[in-house]
Amino acid sequence: MSADILSFIIFLPAVVAFGLMITTKNVEAVRNIAFLTTTVVLALVLKLYLEFEPSAGMQFVTNASWINSFGINYDIGVDGFSLTILMMIAILIPTSYLLLWEGRTKGYWINLLLVQTGVTGSLLALDVVLFYFFWEVMLLPVFLLIGIYGFGNKVFTTIKVTVYTMAGSLLMFVAILYLGVAFHTEFGHWSFQYTDLMKITTLSYNEKIWLFLAFLAAFAIKIPIFPLHTWIMETYKNAPTGAVFLLSSIMAKLGVYAIVRFMIPIFPDIYVEFSTWFVIFGLFGLVYFGIAALMQDDIKRMFAYSSASHLSLISAGIFSLNEYGINGALYLIIAHAIATGALFLLVGIIHDETGTKSIKKLGGLAKTAPIFTVVFAIMLFANIGLPGTNGFVSELLIIFGIYEFNHTLGYISAITVIIGASYMLWMFQRAILQNRDGKSLNMRDLKIKEIIGLAPWVVLVFIMGIYPDIFIDKFEPTVTHYINDILKIGVMK
Amino acid sequence: MNQLIFLMPILTVLVASIVLMLLSMYDRFSTKYFIALSSIFLIIALGFSIGTLTNEYSIKVYNDIFNNALIFDSFSNFFTILLIAGTLLTILIGEHYFLHRKYFRGEFFTILMFALFGMILLGNANELVTAFIALEIASFSIYVMVGYNSDDGKRVEAIFKYLVLGSFIGAFYLLGTVLIYGATQTTNLTEISTYISTHSGNDLALVYIGITLILFTFLFKIAAFPFQSWLLDVYRGAPMIITAYMASVFKIAIFSFFLRVFLQDITSIIDFWDSIMYVIVILTLVFGTWLAITQKIVKRMLAASSIVHTGYLLLAFLAVGQNSQAAYATMFYLIAYLLSAIGSFGLVSHINSETRVRVTYDDFKGLSKERPFLAAMMTIFLLSLAGIPSTIGFIGKFYVFTEAIDAGFTSLAVLAIIATIISVYYYFKLIAVMYFYPANASCESEGFNDKRVSTYAIAFIAILTVLGGIGSAIVFFIPIPGIDTMIEIAQMSVQSLMMK
Repeated sequence: MSADILSFIIFLPAVVAFGLMITTKNVEAVRNIAFLTTTVVLALVLKLYLEFEPSAGMQFVTNASWINSFGINYDIGVDGFSLTILMMIAILIPTSYLLLWEGRTKGYWINLLLVQTGVTGSLLALDVVLFYFFWEVMLLPVFLLIGIYGFGNKVFTTIKVTVYTMAGSLLMFVAILYLGVAFHTEFGHWSFQYTDLMKITTLSYNEKIWLFLAFLAAFAIKIPIFPLHTWIMETYKNAPTGAVFLLSSIMAKLGVYAIVRFMIPIFPDIYVEFSTWFVIFGLFGLVYFGIAALMQDDIKRMFAYSSASHLSLISAGIFSLNEYGINGALYLIIAHAIATGALFLLVGIIHDETGTKSIKKLGGLAKTAPIFTVVFAIMLFANIGLPGTNGFVSELLIIFGIYEFNHTLGYISAITVIIGASYMLWMFQRAILQNRDGKSLNMRDLKIKEIIGLAPWVVLVFIMGIYPDIFIDKFEPTVTHYINDILKIGVMK
Repeated sequence: MNQLIFLMPILTVLVASIVLMLLSMYDRFSTKYFIALSSIFLIIALGFSIGTLTNEYSIKVYNDIFNNALIFDSFSNFFTILLIAGTLLTILIGEHYFLHRKYFRGEFFTILMFALFGMILLGNANELVTAFIALEIASFSIYVMVGYNSDDGKRVEAIFKYLVLGSFIGAFYLLGTVLIYGATQTTNLTEISTYISTHSGNDLALVYIGITLILFTFLFKIAAFPFQSWLLDVYRGAPMIITAYMASVFKIAIFSFFLRVFLQDITSIIDFWDSIMYVIVILTLVFGTWLAITQKIVKRMLAASSIVHTGYLLLAFLAVGQNSQAAYATMFYLIAYLLSAIGSFGLVSHINSETRVRVTYDDFKGLSKERPFLAAMMTIFLLSLAGIPSTIGFIGKFYVFTEAIDAGFTSLAVLAIIATIISVYYYFKLIAVMYFYPANASCESEGFNDKRVSTYAIAFIAILTVLGGIGSAIVFFIPIPGIDTMIEIAQMSVQSLMMK
């Protein structure tokens, strides 16, 4: 049982989704069953989390042959790094259901379930082709979600985001094939396991750079790293809340995850060589998106920029080549997923209730919706990294990491964090606190089930902020393994 | 006597065409009757060809009668199975379409059987003139089928263009054959192969020219650049189901013969054409892609995108010269394309069979609400054409690109991938209009009945498309040939070419 628990976690949502697709037409039944499925997944992941022993290696590995002739295997497993993200996904998704509870149709819930399978699958895949398989498959439900339930010029948006992300993925696909062929030429048999691809020695320097960039294209578009971000503004503006939530707080993180999982092991030398550039790009993105966020009037767009800005910080951390930076980035992945996810869902509620997302038109929400305001404020503070919240721990670690990497860049990163605080607080003051003259907006407060949904997030924000060790302990061995054994940095110092 | 078993599939098809021809004289047999009868014949033929699948073999049956003009081996059997299965699926998917078009009478099925006969013969040909006759039997049957809709003004243009150009390009083939005969004193492939391996330099000059001319015919028939100009108009003018047939089954038949020639007989001099083919692959991909994005009519978009798929096939074909493994990739891609193309074209014809209104992208608006089942199937086929994982099209592309990179054509593989990226645009646009818009009032047809043979045939193909993409990992407990089995069969077939 324990060996197959991962497969079960991956495929349960998809199987339920297909079952629901052909059986019932009753939206409430679909929603309840879908919610139940995600809680079952959560329970299984919790069990996994408790059984997991902190160590560098893969655990719960399942390996079955898929396409024998090409050595492509159904090969999944979990280590400290993926476990943490798995846990985050498993908690976020069911609670997001609670916040999206009413007024959705059958297709909405089914697509959400399918996304979960794609996301979990690509998180646990150890074979690059299998990873690519899930990576592409998770795009389709999102495509449908935006296209069917989006706003504005949704069809154009959908096509744009699909072509954009697929362009990146297909470049990665070429790189995967190229690596597979290189492995085949060198060792005489096919394999696409990333641990096998690490062994390739025949690639020239130029080849490696091209392959590295092809992989990076796919992941950078998904994250998005400046300058491959142009799809997100329209998408975040026109997409329905559920899709924005998935894109920003879950899928973007998978881009970061994939950089660590596949790019560091396969191209360690290129990764080290170009890390300075990527840290600079990351910091530039942080400032650029931060300033852009400062000028937005649409709250959703503002969060889109803010999210991109934080993700740039994450990518800067990932490339900082030391334990502080990478630990911090992983920690920020979780912290950002919680805070941004919650904020997008809360904005979704504002939009549903008041019919507007414009900061100028909102105002005085605190009066009619106090609980809402409190939760909103907590997430906001977590997002800007107030001490005591998880955002603080992660930003601190990243800044330490960047400082250790390069002192000047460290100072810059420390200063730029202020931008985040300024746009967030300014928006909070204008949209939530400040009273408006004239007619007041019809804003309801959170309902009980929404509060139940958000409670674990709020708790996590503080636990992660106050006792980071319980979480960091789970993935630290993996990070150390990456830095010492794969990048060989610990050895050099 | 035991050699007769290898002849059985082709004989069954021949008998079927004659029986159907005789029956078509009588008015009392309805179209439905002909559909059923021809399906039965095809299933019998399919049974015979699958029956001999088990072992690798290469047999020249009845030497004294056929004078080695025909060869029966696992390779031709592989294609025979594909061709018969493709024709059977075409008939089943077209059931609705045939019944709703008055001009499809008994004779049509006779011609279809003759076309199939020619194609199977082409796959078994071991001699240039036999191959030409087979090719012309198939082509002429298809000329007739293209012009079958006597109500449609466009068919005149279609049939005329195709007939004239096709016959013209056929002359190139004959000229090539003559030149080869002039040099080698034979038209038998085995003997030509022996001649090539024992001669060199000036002795081969005529052979080179001859094969180049034959290559032109090949490129024309599969609509590669620069011989693609007929395709859009012909595909547009032909009845929808015939377009499906031409795009998938006929293409397979063409590849069956030329793969044999290139793999078995002229493999030692194949490098000569690499640079030409290199350019042709690039132009086919670029031109096909450009044509496909600019189309507003769905049928034309599918037709134009078939040029792009020809480009992928040619890429694998080109790789064969460096890396004979690529032959399997070509064959696997043919299976993948057969399923996705026949599915998508067939589905559009099924939708169009009651009304003529669903023509442009706009007409497909809101199909998902009106006929959700068909829209879902269409989505599967489009995803497969675009090469999205979990469909057979993905595995097909995976295979082709891997072999191309292995053969050293990385830049072409990258170009093909870019073509794929662009193809996402025009395929997904159709999915988008089906799902993201309210139904187009002028196209709504009331009282359709989707519980019919063609719907089930489409569903069957859709299931195969998905099974072919997910394969044995998830459905290993279902006794259906997975991806590995298909690849093994393709490998076995190619190996049978090496036994002479």
